[in-house]
Amino acid sequence: MPQNNYQPHTITDPSRRRLKILRTIVLVLLGIILLRLFFIQILEHGNWVAKASEQHTILETITAKRGEIYMMDHDQPVAVVLNQTTYEIVIDPTVTKKEDIEQVIDQYAKDYVVADLDEVYNTEGLRYSVVAKNIPRETAQQIADSGTPAIWLKKINQRVYPEGTLASGLLGFVNDDGVGQYGTEGSLDKQLAGEDGLIKATADVNKVALSIGDENIKIPSKDGENIILSVDRGLEYGVEERAQAAIDSTAATNASVLIMDPNNGEVLAMANLPNYDPAHYDKVTDAAAFVNYTTEVPYEPASICKSFTFAAAVNEGKMTADTTYFNEHYTTVDGWKIENAEQRSILYGTINMKTALYWSLNTGSIQALRLLGGDPTRITQQGREKLYDYYHNKFRLGQITGIELIEAEGYIEDPNEGWGRDSTYANMTFGQNLGITMVQTASAFSAVVNGGTWHTPTIVKGVLEDDKIVPLNDTSTINKLGEVSSLNESEIGGKSVTEPVESKVSDQILTEETSAAMRAMLINNRGYKVADGTDRPGYDIGGKSGTAQVIVNGAYDDTFAQLVGSYIGFVGPSGELPKYVIMVKMWGEGQSIGSGDAMDLFNTLSNYLIDYLKIKPRI
Amino acid sequence: MNRKHKSDLIILFATLGLMALGLIVIYAIGPMRANVLNSTYGTDYDSNYFFWGQLRSVALALLAFFAAFKWIPYKYIKKVAKPFIIIALTLSALLWFLALVSGGQSSGIVKCELGECRWFDIGGINFQPAEVLKLALVIYLADFLTRKQQEGVIGKFKEFWLPLIIICGISLALVVVGQGDLGTGVALIAIVLGMLLISGVPASQYLIMLAIILVGAVGAVAFSGHRMERVDAWVTTLTGGESSDATYHVDNAMLAIGVGGFFGVGIGNSVQATGYLPESINDSVFAVMGETFGFVGLFLIIAVFAALLLRMVKVAEYTQDSEGRMLIVGIFSWTLAQVVVNIMAMTGLVPVTGITLPLLSYGGTSMIFIAFAIGLVLQLSCYTSREVSSKNEDISSRRGQRGAHYTSRRRSA
Repeated sequence: MPQNNYQPHTITDPSRRRLKILRTIVLVLLGIILLRLFFIQILEHGNWVAKASEQHTILETITAKRGEIYMMDHDQPVAVVLNQTTYEIVIDPTVTKKEDIEQVIDQYAKDYVVADLDEVYNTEGLRYSVVAKNIPRETAQQIADSGTPAIWLKKINQRVYPEGTLASGLLGFVNDDGVGQYGTEGSLDKQLAGEDGLIKATADVNKVALSIGDENIKIPSKDGENIILSVDRGLEYGVEERAQAAIDSTAATNASVLIMDPNNGEVLAMANLPNYDPAHYDKVTDAAAFVNYTTEVPYEPASICKSFTFAAAVNEGKMTADTTYFNEHYTTVDGWKIENAEQRSILYGTINMKTALYWSLNTGSIQALRLLGGDPTRITQQGREKLYDYYHNKFRLGQITGIELIEAEGYIEDPNEGWGRDSTYANMTFGQNLGITMVQTASAFSAVVNGGTWHTPTIVKGVLEDDKIVPLNDTSTINKLGEVSSLNESEIGGKSVTEPVESKVSDQILTEETSAAMRAMLINNRGYKVADGTDRPGYDIGGKSGTAQVIVNGAYDDTFAQLVGSYIGFVGPSGELPKYVIMVKMWGEGQSIGSGDAMDLFNTLSNYLIDYLKIKPRI
Repeated sequence: MNRKHKSDLIILFATLGLMALGLIVIYAIGPMRANVLNSTYGTDYDSNYFFWGQLRSVALALLAFFAAFKWIPYKYIKKVAKPFIIIALTLSALLWFLALVSGGQSSGIVKCELGECRWFDIGGINFQPAEVLKLALVIYLADFLTRKQQEGVIGKFKEFWLPLIIICGISLALVVVGQGDLGTGVALIAIVLGMLLISGVPASQYLIMLAIILVGAVGAVAFSGHRMERVDAWVTTLTGGESSDATYHVDNAMLAIGVGGFFGVGIGNSVQATGYLPESINDSVFAVMGETFGFVGLFLIIAVFAALLLRMVKVAEYTQDSEGRMLIVGIFSWTLAQVVVNIMAMTGLVPVTGITLPLLSYGGTSMIFIAFAIGLVLQLSCYTSREVSSKNEDISSRRGQRGAHYTSRRRSA
């Protein structure tokens, strides 16, 4: 290899040195950049990834479709709560041209206007205004297609009630947050709501999901169940109409009616009058209007409970309808004098239990308790324990029944704890000193008359899937707390519970003989109390009334200024097991409503039921 | 002039490689850009619109590149140095005038963005006169400085500094004031500084000039609201302050680069390019590359630029002809300024000025003219010389003349 002299001859030395400066500048600047990149890409990499994930990830909920609610129309389900998607027109008066929105309203949305445009455009600083509401989808589509700029359509999912106010206390409503409140909407909220789905994805700057990234998640939504209630729509309507008429013609302001099939616990009608409009639940000022009094409010059904005391004593073989005792119009327990309401002189002396029940004598039911305890002269511990066993354990009073609705538990006093047990239990024989709901009462009464079997009451026939009725499988999430806790104690009483409800039970608690004997006594109760021709021939109709005093300031109000009237009874063809049990409760704030008003409504309803359900007489 | 020999292969392949890489990246992110523009502005760009645009630019740039490299001898080019810069200045002046007439709005012939009018728009074809000006200034200064060297007036105020200041002042005014294009302004200053460095200007004068430019730059920034805003945003970014609208661009550029990590997310997986990062296909393409190719990729890209720039210095060193050497340093300075200012802006080291990354960014005019300029360097690389050790040249050493001449020096060094 030749030896070269590398000095380029034409370049002066300073120029050469300066070219070296350029080389140094390149290396220094690019070196700084590489250091910076190392810092950002290697050392700070984790921070940037975290920031990126925050910036790029969208989380979107796929809203599940809420289930609809059906009632039965004889044997066909019919929707009583539906979903509807409507649209609102929203404008921004600073952006939307007034003539544009005027033209859109004029052409498409005249009937849906909710705002005065002049006012909207004259309000300073207003950037958002809903100018039309409840626009159906087709019209909204036309408006969208018209391509009018700066007019926004907002989608609103809402519940619609084709039957208006029908059975509002049973159905409940869905609040603005989409959560079911009260009634079926509240108790079966989980089943109706379904499960929302989720999209988690990397998205572009306009929040459109990209296929980039391996952490994208899509969980599809699960639509809510379509719940079919066992309530018959036509029957419910007739019942409510008659109950409203009863309110109108008496001093009562409220009436609740429960009709169930005693042979399986299925509820056919459940009315709480007056109704409210669930589509405008926000207009209701007193939350008491939302309450379902048949399941959420324990009360004292009074003499109706004599049926339970009698059934217990008969079932234990301690007495029969013909067992006698000496009626003095009163009896003394724990030093307290307990009087009969019925004081007519012909009843003074030795009478039988059938007569005592007919005249609803408190001395009679207290005598039944004494007999239950094995000593006809006094109430014993055994008697209290026996009665508690029947009331609480067998008839399941003071317990959640398991119906698919929000329920209060109520209470039955312990037989052995506390002071004055005997007088408490004496009161319990005629339905005081306890707190039980209508549905507990009606379920117990059903067992008394149906041959002795207690059935879990039920109001859900099933769910509608592909036009077929299938059973509602999971009932463990039925909301038993609901909104009950938000009402004040005196309105609701009892306790709220959270334990899961045991599944449906059918429990033989009385012998068939006991049930038959009780039916006979309850039919006998009707006697001449009911005007001739009220009960039609060919039917067995029995019942028991109850007039309850109201507790004022912790003690029974003996002025009887306010009374709650109840009546419970059964209907069926002669000689057969009852087909239906009807329970009626009527009351009014400060009003004295006797059981007579309740019985009148029962009489109307029993005949209506025979007609509506075409129950054939047996003569 | 020395006998012609083979050109510098490193410059050749670095240039072609960068163009190809730019094309690939635009192919990957062009559809995202089209999508963002379509959904944000209701435009109707085809998803391959930007790829075809870049392909067209690359084709034209290659044409310009080979024209400068092979077909147009430099001796012809230097003859038109004066008319060329007059045309370039006229074009920029005309653009300014038309922009004033249109009031900063795009008109039939002028295209403006955000109130700055930097493009002629002739039948849908955009043309940026500032790019012409950069090339014209390099060619003109090479001619000017050589003449002054020959006249021996380098460093004299009246004969040297005055005409220099006038020509450079007009150029800067047209670009920075007329077009609001600080990026090109920085490139012009870099060109002048680079060329003057090797023109034989006394070191003391050179340092005074540097100081004056520095003071002038600070002053220009301080008295311009929106430039001060950018500096504010830059300081915020450097000091890790709160993000704001002003820091959005650089925040997202750094986010893209940071997400890239060591190996990058891979081609087609850039999320920042889906609209988060402004100017993703042109000024911010380096950040997208950082996200896509990671530190390894950026290291290689910078290495390629380093090779390109260092080879230019080397070609200059071995170019006998003073004018050619000056020209090469001008082109070197232009390239270096754009590379460094663009990348430093993307990494938060300097304020964002809006400058393209040579050969990689989307944009026709800038790529065509820089390609032409590099083509000129390549042409000159065919005429480098090395001083032969003795008058009796050893024929056997001709082997060393097959490549660029300085390669032999490297081999035996």
